[in-house]
Amino acid sequence: MNRSNRIVLACVYWAFVLYVFVPLILMILMGFKDSKFIGFPIRSWTLDWYYSIFSDAEILYTFGYSMLIAILSTLISVIIGTWLALLLEGRKFWGWAVTFGLMVLPALVPGIISAIAFRIYARWLGIEPGMGAIIWAHAVHNVPFVSLVVMARLSTLPKSQTEAARDLGADPLVAFLRITLPYLVPSILGASIFCMLLSFDDFVRSFFLGGYEETLPVLIFAMLRSGMSPEINAIATIALVLTAAIGIWAERFTRRTNKESQL
Amino acid sequence: MSHDDSPRKNHNDIVQYSATRPFWGRLTNWQPYRLLLTFATASPRRQFIILAAFPLLWLLTQHLGPMIQMARVSLLESYPVAQGAPQNFTLDNYIRFFGDHIFWMPFFRTLTFAAVFTFCTLILTYPVAYFLARHVSRHNQMLMLLILLIPFWVGEIVRTYAIMILLGNTGAVNLALKWLGLIERPIPFMYTSFSMGLGIVYLTALYMLLPLYSALEKLPKSYTEVAADLGAGAWTRFRRVTLPLTIEGISSGCTLVFLISTGFYATPVLLGGPSTTVFAETIAGFFHYAGDEWPTGAAFAVIMFAAALFITGLFQKLMKALRRGDTK
Repeated sequence: MNRSNRIVLACVYWAFVLYVFVPLILMILMGFKDSKFIGFPIRSWTLDWYYSIFSDAEILYTFGYSMLIAILSTLISVIIGTWLALLLEGRKFWGWAVTFGLMVLPALVPGIISAIAFRIYARWLGIEPGMGAIIWAHAVHNVPFVSLVVMARLSTLPKSQTEAARDLGADPLVAFLRITLPYLVPSILGASIFCMLLSFDDFVRSFFLGGYEETLPVLIFAMLRSGMSPEINAIATIALVLTAAIGIWAERFTRRTNKESQL
Repeated sequence: MSHDDSPRKNHNDIVQYSATRPFWGRLTNWQPYRLLLTFATASPRRQFIILAAFPLLWLLTQHLGPMIQMARVSLLESYPVAQGAPQNFTLDNYIRFFGDHIFWMPFFRTLTFAAVFTFCTLILTYPVAYFLARHVSRHNQMLMLLILLIPFWVGEIVRTYAIMILLGNTGAVNLALKWLGLIERPIPFMYTSFSMGLGIVYLTALYMLLPLYSALEKLPKSYTEVAADLGAGAWTRFRRVTLPLTIEGISSGCTLVFLISTGFYATPVLLGGPSTTVFAETIAGFFHYAGDEWPTGAAFAVIMFAAALFITGLFQKLMKALRRGDTK
């Protein structure tokens, strides 16, 4: 009974893996199809779509633009998210639960509503739609993810370590900079990679807060709406390889450093 | 000034020690730094205020601010308010919602779809999470979970596009069905609630899988073994032991997926058709204009958010009641 259960469940797992991977693999294959017509079967193969992307300055610019937004918004999220984690973790104060609730709020608001709220607020603040507005919206939206990851890491730091530093004459700031912060570095790095991916992949906020320049997801969306072009496959494949590679690297990195610091 | 003595004595020790630590020694001996520090750490209260002031200000202005501003605009008669004109508050924008079925039809459709898709995601991912947590060795668990994580780092738009390729009239599914001889003409999967559902489940599955996995992983194997020893069959074991003890994971996964599903905009636009217009598209419609329709759009967004929060709140209460009922 247990054995047959196990086999059935294993089949479900591998079916799920197929469900998750097959669409992406088909999309990658389509990027090498030697025809303007998107669809199966694929009879001959080509690299032309990749050549045309790498010679298209506008598309390359969009890649760079999206990456710049991802990096700048992540810098803001990481600083504020870490600061919030330091305030919230291991401290009891009046209004703690409300503060925590406010901290996670941007992550819980459904996408379209969050985009609308940011759009209205940006206009109220006088921020024009464009790069600054997108960076700001991504930064606010990503703060909770940083805070939650850093809080989890901070809760495993033995209190005795900072106490020992204080006993040896370090003031609170030095104790933080030399004990707490180095301990948090793996989680901060992991969280920043995650934030960069979130920002790079984000569509709805970039769409509503963007000006004339498009981020990569917005560009792909616009191309899809105006009719399928085989170039989309190649662009999406590059974006996929980029994000997946960074994601895997970050996962391995955080796992390794976590293991090291546990020893 | 007696209380000033002991830190100073301490400080002399630090000076000698810090000769071998140039940077930190120099920093802690730097006069402005020390003045600043003694000011900041004069009392625990002041220390807390310095730590808390900026993050709290950020939370109020950046996390809460947009929501409050959205609620305020939703009550305005017109936006932007003309120079010198008084701000008139009105409930008209909310009343407008109930007046026309082209508004509330997408609204109820969104909530129904979100509930159905959430349930499908749960049914789909529970066995996967169960398999990973209970039938796979610790070492392989991480690897097999990582395999599933890879596609989820890929963005919403790219994955939506992948679904379009899968389901299109010349897509892989139709090709396979034709090749098997099951159909002669392609089945139009695209631009239906089916394609939209498949796409949304594809996008949200991970947010369900992870809470379920962590809930199942925490559950000791001995619990079900005891139940088996007491003569419970597989189904009874699952229904009476595993399911009640993972309700927390189910509840948080469903809440997350439901909230995310209600907020999708690009996926319904690309995968759905005219008969599957969701409320996100209705809301977005008011923001394509220069601004005179913004209050209505804001009001609709508030309605949507309130409804989503209400339903998830109700759902969590129900789940809690179920759990309490089981432990009795």
